[in-house]
Amino acid sequence: MSSLSTPDTPNPLGSAAADAAADVRRSASAASHTAAVKRRERAAQWHLLFILVVVLGPLVVYPLVRLVLLSLTDPHGLSLHAYSAFFSNPETSGVIGTTLWILFASAGLASLLGVALASILFFKPFPGARMITRFLELFVAFPSFLVAFTLIFLYGSQGSVSIGLQRLFHLQAPPLDFLFGVGGVILAEVVFYAPFVVRPTLASFATLDMRLIEAARSLGASGWMVAFKVILPLAWPGIAAGTILCFLLTLNEFGILLVLGSAHLITLPVAIYSSATVDLDLPTAAAGAVVMLIMSLSLYALYRQVNRRKVKGAGHGR
Amino acid sequence: MAVELDPTVLPVVHKKARPVRRSLVVRVLGGLFLGFAALLCFWLFVLPVLVVALSSVAAHWSGTILPDGFSMRWFERLGSSDFDALTTSLEIGMGVAVLGTILGLWLALALEGRDRRGLGAIVDTIAMMPNGVPSVVLGLAVLIAYHKRPFDLSSSAAIVVFVQLALVLPFCYRCAAAALRPELTILREAAASLGAPPSMVLRRVVLPQLVPAIRASLALGFALSLGELGATLTVYPPGFATVPIVVVGQVERGYYLPASALSLILLLVSLAALLLIAARVPRRRVD
Repeated sequence: MSSLSTPDTPNPLGSAAADAAADVRRSASAASHTAAVKRRERAAQWHLLFILVVVLGPLVVYPLVRLVLLSLTDPHGLSLHAYSAFFSNPETSGVIGTTLWILFASAGLASLLGVALASILFFKPFPGARMITRFLELFVAFPSFLVAFTLIFLYGSQGSVSIGLQRLFHLQAPPLDFLFGVGGVILAEVVFYAPFVVRPTLASFATLDMRLIEAARSLGASGWMVAFKVILPLAWPGIAAGTILCFLLTLNEFGILLVLGSAHLITLPVAIYSSATVDLDLPTAAAGAVVMLIMSLSLYALYRQVNRRKVKGAGHGR
Repeated sequence: MAVELDPTVLPVVHKKARPVRRSLVVRVLGGLFLGFAALLCFWLFVLPVLVVALSSVAAHWSGTILPDGFSMRWFERLGSSDFDALTTSLEIGMGVAVLGTILGLWLALALEGRDRRGLGAIVDTIAMMPNGVPSVVLGLAVLIAYHKRPFDLSSSAAIVVFVQLALVLPFCYRCAAAALRPELTILREAAASLGAPPSMVLRRVVLPQLVPAIRASLALGFALSLGELGATLTVYPPGFATVPIVVVGQVERGYYLPASALSLILLLVSLAALLLIAARVPRRRVD
């Protein structure tokens, strides 16, 4: 590095001595600068290691390592007994299938609804659309179990909508009775997680070059063609990131499942929770938790990958 | 809507540009569609919040469309256990918000410009990992790690703070890291080149620039901590139930109206905190 800044071509003219002195000084300054940079970089690395050990170690790493270890050991050493215990329990058989089915139904619907709402809010804003957008930003801070809880007042068998339908059609009994089960869980998760798709989708619409859309329109493209041939390919990375995030959050959801589904519907989080706190069987719960951890961390890795590509793509575009 | 694109027949008179006129049916359908979308937004997202407010002041609400009367009796009947839960929630929330903000700021400053490769990438990944871990799983992991000797936290509120801190940390870290912009680096280098020692650069240049991010991080940490259910429910020791735990317990036993009174208080407290902390954040760089 420092040899570059000191070209050692001999100077045939008289001021060689002065030049040499200047060169030496320059190279010394460059060397000390390089040394300082190197020292600072090393200090920063030690600082990072310190944070890793003192902050993240006890908060994140140690608990997760203990979790995995507990699921893999029994009093005699390594074994997979906890896993077979978790999956052979008659109450939790088929639990992964149920979890995945609910995940795909509710996160898929929430993504479709979120993208559709975001497109309407951005391209055809109705009066109050700005307020709705602001509200959706606040909605993200709303606890999920409260959403499930309010749906009881609306769609429960004695709720407003059910009684309203009964009065409207003069029925004998309240018509709606789906809330405490798969239907209610999917409804609550769609309502709660659609806003999480709306926000990234709106953000990626906002970075679109509107001139492209106008050009497509002026060349005679219809609304559908503009949507599918221009907007969707351009906004795709943001929409994909939002959709994956929605799947991840829906998989990790617990409050809605506890309020609406705990009675009839055994999903992975509820099974883990009940074997940890009701049966007090920590190894079995840990086995279930490791399975769930693998599922959600692989989804999360995918999310980070897509998000990083999106950031990089935006950087190139500018 | 036939568009004439024959270039040889240019119009002699310049007609005024007119908006494309659509047929009446299309316009009515479009209007109906937008109205439906607006109604759907209101129905799905605004109504739940209104329902919490309405049900907490309802005298009785079951088997009717609207509550059959209004009273404040659910608030008057809140017992000491409810207020204990509220106090616990507030204390834990503040602790988590302050600690999470400090740790997030520290992480962001240490990782600035280094989160792409080497040790920095590992630290960044681990710090963001709780975002991808289900809250029940994280709660269970913390419970397993800290319920026995040598680290026994299972009888104090520390374990709740601990688990919520792990969950909140990625958000606080992102908040602070997003605020460390390139301009700020230039300012810091300028201050350092003018001879300010690092501590002075941090105190006089960096922290004042980060005030909006710190406020946002405090507000976010507080709100997330107040609403956290899965991890807290898994680890909480007896006597340290937070409001969400009490609310879910009441809902499971069918006491809907007291539960909504308590949740309304929770929502108002968290909204008030958000407004108090984040209200005067100057809106900078909206682009």
